[in-house]
Amino acid sequence: MTALAWFELIVSGLITGGVYALVGLGLNLQYGLMRILNIAHGEFLMLGAFLTWAAATGWGWSPLLMIPVSFVLLMALGVALHRLTFRRIARTSPDLDVFEARGLMVSFGLMFLVQNFAHATWGADLRGYDYLTEPVVLPGGAQFAGNKLLLLGLSLAIAALLIVVLRLTLWGKGVRALMQSPTGAQLVGMDTERLHPLMFGAGLGLSGVAGCLLSTAYTITPSMGEPYTVTALIVITLGGFGHMGGALFGGLALGVVEALGMHFTNPSLKSLLSYAVFIAALLCKPDGLFNRRP
Amino acid sequence: MTDPLHHPLPRRRVVQALAGSAAGVALAGMPALVRANSPVRIGYTMARTGPWSVGAQVSQEPNYLLWAEQTNAAGGLDVKGTRRPVELLASDDQSNLETCVRTYEKLMGSDKVDLVLPPWGSNANFAVAPLANRYGYPFLAPTALSRRLVEMKLPYFFLLLQQPKPMMEALVDMLRSQGAKSLATIYVDDLFGLENYAALKVALQGSGIQLVEDKSYPLGVKDLAPVLRGIKDRNPDAFVGLTYPPDTILASRQSKEIGFNPKFFYASVGTAFQLYRNVMKEGAEGVLGMGSWNGKSSAAAKAYFDAHVKKFGAAKEPDRWASGHCWAGLEILSAAVAKVGLDRKAIRDFVAAGTHRTIVGDIRFQGSENVGVPGTVSQWQKGEFEVVWPKSRATAALAPAKPAW
Repeated sequence: MTALAWFELIVSGLITGGVYALVGLGLNLQYGLMRILNIAHGEFLMLGAFLTWAAATGWGWSPLLMIPVSFVLLMALGVALHRLTFRRIARTSPDLDVFEARGLMVSFGLMFLVQNFAHATWGADLRGYDYLTEPVVLPGGAQFAGNKLLLLGLSLAIAALLIVVLRLTLWGKGVRALMQSPTGAQLVGMDTERLHPLMFGAGLGLSGVAGCLLSTAYTITPSMGEPYTVTALIVITLGGFGHMGGALFGGLALGVVEALGMHFTNPSLKSLLSYAVFIAALLCKPDGLFNRRP
Repeated sequence: MTDPLHHPLPRRRVVQALAGSAAGVALAGMPALVRANSPVRIGYTMARTGPWSVGAQVSQEPNYLLWAEQTNAAGGLDVKGTRRPVELLASDDQSNLETCVRTYEKLMGSDKVDLVLPPWGSNANFAVAPLANRYGYPFLAPTALSRRLVEMKLPYFFLLLQQPKPMMEALVDMLRSQGAKSLATIYVDDLFGLENYAALKVALQGSGIQLVEDKSYPLGVKDLAPVLRGIKDRNPDAFVGLTYPPDTILASRQSKEIGFNPKFFYASVGTAFQLYRNVMKEGAEGVLGMGSWNGKSSAAAKAYFDAHVKKFGAAKEPDRWASGHCWAGLEILSAAVAKVGLDRKAIRDFVAAGTHRTIVGDIRFQGSENVGVPGTVSQWQKGEFEVVWPKSRATAALAPAKPAW
């Protein structure tokens, strides 16, 4: 295999991995911070994809414009959902384990609700539109669709921005403190009443952005979200719960492993490869690749 | 003593007798009257949610709805000379095999509907067909493609689509006639993909076309670029994707991305969808796929196409393969009920024995298989999915080399 072929293969893995990372980061915000294992996470990705498709085909809006719009809309939806469901559960659950179990059930319910809402609104048809599909030849001869390169660039940029915000701003430090020690953070005056809904909303917003980017390159259906939830779970387990850099690395690594595996073996073995990575991580580094045992 | 035989009946008795006999006549006539007005109950499940819904909502359920509407608008279904309204008892099987089987069991076992219409896809039909056979319900399946279904020899089961063998033979025949020497294939690893792949390999034997690459992929695959890049390196004359609608579009888009431009690009389910043209735009030109009819095939096909577009809108055209076969199945069922009524055994015999004139041509069955319609290949040409092979069924001449994406 030539160096060019290797390069193309690895970049195509990174493109897929960029989306995995974005979805994983969103779920990590929710699970790492609040212990909400949001099984409906992929459904909000699907909503972001459908909103972008509807805006692009109905009103001729650019998908790029829909990135902030999807983020804001889904974040608002996330804040509202948190207020309606998870805040109540948090108040009535006797301990964290019960909250986690109840949260899981609620998110299952949300999954069916959102999926059926999409079915009722847009029907079950496969949807798609044409956006930057022309191949772009990079120096050296490697060739990718414009929308895929955009997808990679934007997903990496958004993931990096989130990590920088969490590292450098006071607000971000508060969120990280809450992830590391919820009780300690509250003792020093962190306002969980405000941060929790905002972070839940931000998680959904990221999912919406991932959906928005995906719709530029892939066809969409109301049932497209579930596989991404599973992938996001693998990604955050790989990177470590609550570890944002780990989720980014986990997403990209999973994308590359899948691309190489599919090329050298068979696409039918893709799930086997993903779960092999997952099981190996659980066996060797059960707290994730980047989390140190306390 | 008065002779009772000659004694004139009191007026009161006469009135009572007349009233009684009138009631008797009315009661005796009622079942026929009730039957004439009561609807023909036809049950089915359809994927309205889940992964099957994409195909089901393009190729199948819209046709059931259109047929019921047209039939009722014409005064009802002709049941051996009596017009009765059609009542569809439909539910969402959520693309779930278990839900699908359980619902058909209820429809046939306890609801005892008059007729059933099949669900979407080879897998669902594979699960439900033996059940329909056990209950004695004729089952004219529009979207099942499997040799194994034929081999099950179920007397009540009929496959309307052309099966893998004729479809792959037609494809290889066309490729050979155009001088193709090498071929690469990817196939979805379920019943549809595996059987078509097996049929393709058999058809290639002795054809002079070399199979240079073959790889399977799972249902719901999100990325085929790594495999397509490998195939591009081998530079085959023909690419054959034994694919479902999302994968058909994925493989096409990603081939365009990586600049994979074989002389012949063939993909399977979904190439015949209007969506394919909408998504691929000019890139669709020259793409080959599974198709068997279009509005030019016959006047009846044109009438069906126009009625479908009128009901569901220009954005939801029928696809140029299974939709037509689905409509053909409904045409056969209507003809059978008009001829023999709702006796399901008689309907089965009618379907099995005759040659049926439909919008996709004359259909006749050998066992469960439609042997009336030969294997076909279609190609996107200037916005229409034209039948190009065999020449006897062609609506346009084959464009021998696909332009670059």
